[in-house]
Amino acid sequence: MPPPPVRSPSSLLLCHCRLPFHISPQTRLPLSHNSSVRRRFHCSAVSALSSDPQIAPTDLTTTPPSSHILSIRESLLSRRRTAADVAGEYLDRLRRTEPHIRSFLHVSETTMREAEEVDRLVASGKDLGPLAGVLVGVKDNICTAGMPSTGGSRILEGYRPPFDATAVRKLKEAGAIIIGKTNMDEFGMGSTTEGSGFQVTANPWDISRVPGGSSGGSASAVSAKQCVVSLGSDTGGSVRQPASFCGVVGLKPTYGRVSRFGLMAYASSLDVIGCFGASVIDSAIVLNVVSGHDRFDSTSSTHEVPDYASFLMSTDHFESTPLKGLKVGMIRETIGDGVDVGVISSIKAAALHLEELGATITEVSLPSFSLGLPAYYVLASSEASSNLSRYDGVRYGNRATVDELNSLYGDSRADGLGPEVKMRILMGTYALSAGYYDAYYKRAQQVRTLIRKSFKDALEKMDILVSPAVPSPAYKIGEKVNDPLAMYAGDIMTVNVNLAGLPALVVPCGFVEGGSAGLPVGLQMIGSSFSEEKLLRIGHIFEQTLPNYRFVPPLLFLELV
Amino acid sequence: MATGMTMSDATLLRRLSTLLVARSGCPRRMRLFSSYIVRGATFEPPDVSHLADSARISLAPGEVEDFGPKIRQVIDWFGQLQAVDLESVEPSVRADAEVSMYKREDTPETFENREAIIRVAPSYDDPYIKVPKVLSKE
Repeated sequence: MPPPPVRSPSSLLLCHCRLPFHISPQTRLPLSHNSSVRRRFHCSAVSALSSDPQIAPTDLTTTPPSSHILSIRESLLSRRRTAADVAGEYLDRLRRTEPHIRSFLHVSETTMREAEEVDRLVASGKDLGPLAGVLVGVKDNICTAGMPSTGGSRILEGYRPPFDATAVRKLKEAGAIIIGKTNMDEFGMGSTTEGSGFQVTANPWDISRVPGGSSGGSASAVSAKQCVVSLGSDTGGSVRQPASFCGVVGLKPTYGRVSRFGLMAYASSLDVIGCFGASVIDSAIVLNVVSGHDRFDSTSSTHEVPDYASFLMSTDHFESTPLKGLKVGMIRETIGDGVDVGVISSIKAAALHLEELGATITEVSLPSFSLGLPAYYVLASSEASSNLSRYDGVRYGNRATVDELNSLYGDSRADGLGPEVKMRILMGTYALSAGYYDAYYKRAQQVRTLIRKSFKDALEKMDILVSPAVPSPAYKIGEKVNDPLAMYAGDIMTVNVNLAGLPALVVPCGFVEGGSAGLPVGLQMIGSSFSEEKLLRIGHIFEQTLPNYRFVPPLLFLELV
Repeated sequence: MATGMTMSDATLLRRLSTLLVARSGCPRRMRLFSSYIVRGATFEPPDVSHLADSARISLAPGEVEDFGPKIRQVIDWFGQLQAVDLESVEPSVRADAEVSMYKREDTPETFENREAIIRVAPSYDDPYIKVPKVLSKE
């Protein structure tokens, strides 16, 4: 093995080709004067990660992200690589990075065997599914038959569901290999993974910081390339916020776009299954696979599923202003007080980039915007108090050893559920009690009507709305632990979208200072119901033309070989 | 004062509004909403032990002390919802406007993996899932 690379701070900066935040997006980072240092560093990086096309030295400058799914497919069909090679590479990287970030609660024991199955399929000349050989991480609140599914909770420690969630079944039918189950805040309640009953996941950009939540493990796994893509769930921002913190693409589909069958319910009127990818195309391909009506989920939509990836052209075919005519509304309430200055600056730079692509940006105001947060927490806690009553130690999960039935419920739940979950159940119980329902739950539902209407009005005048996904970059581990309201405040940019059931896409757009290479910031794009194709097309064009950024975390260069 | 409201209801509301504003420190102007009446309840602060009982969670005494102030703080914060004029706003049960008319056939199907369901039950004595007896007088 070659010796570890020289890790001087300047070479780290060069590796990531990130623009220091005070330089305007138009200026290119000068790299040539330190090229000899860069070359030495890259040689070692290459030997560690040479098989991954995404981390080849020539790509480290300004090549936009490409589709890993399509490149795996191409390499399988051309026989350049085997599925076993690909799986081996990802498993290897997973094992090397896991001690630093702990994204996974469970790693599959059958990955190599499934990869060999894919190779047999390739050899037989039969048709390959769109995700053949693609390693997928699945958030642990999504049921996978035979693999533990805990929802991040001790009450379900060791629980193996007897069925696959519909989204998982569809992934498997498309040829995907489920590499493992990812860490999360318990039952989706939290924004950092510190609410997990098992472990805290670290952000690959700075391991003293959180990856976000509740789908923190899924986001960090994709960011650290432990898997190609992953599934998460988004009830109040749990896909979009970690996507922003970890510098990956996060997609929250329209409510009803993806079946919730097999997703452990947190708030049934708000939950959706979403996905993470290192590029917009990869997210689009996953959306294609998991979308569609499901007779086992009566809230799933019969709205037709277009081929989301077919709208995404290669940059060779872009005109000079591919977004000409697009009307973009920047949500005024999300770029003012309480938002980190660096985040505002990244979002404004992203807006400038959209303008360069031909779009027109207008500030819009959404009335009732700030009411969304208390309304969300009333609705979510109330629905959760009902949904989590099934975890009682009777039919599955951990059961306390007691002599009497009421204690069975009380003690099993007390032992198995974490403090945040308990608090939200209690708050929800309060809000739904006789005499309080009208004051809290019903009023929250009325606020939901106001918010739906305000989005609808705004999206009649604009094609899409944009905002940051989070008011700040990733928090330090431990920063928000004892202050529930401070943690809830971080969801202000995301909850209204869930209340309105709209789709949203988060695309990494810049950095703020922090960590050894900066902390990523994501741009959130919101569309009207079932407008995922529009969002993905715009996100793809934005991502492919974003100058000078590479969202590859330092962990992948700092890991010991 | 709108019709349908008694003097005592209006006074209660005004006092309640002041209390909520004082607790949450919310600088919003409170408005009396004409047709909204708080029935029965006097908006007592959350009794954590009672709630834990209803939710069937056996809280340790330390937890009751720890959760109490945090829960009260969040419930106070929820009070912002009282400050808004929501008269004639229809509540939205869910996000989407479209109501799916799809109904599946009402015919039972056998789940093919009953073995796996039974296997995860903590205590099974065919055909029963066993639980301890009910001893309490409730």
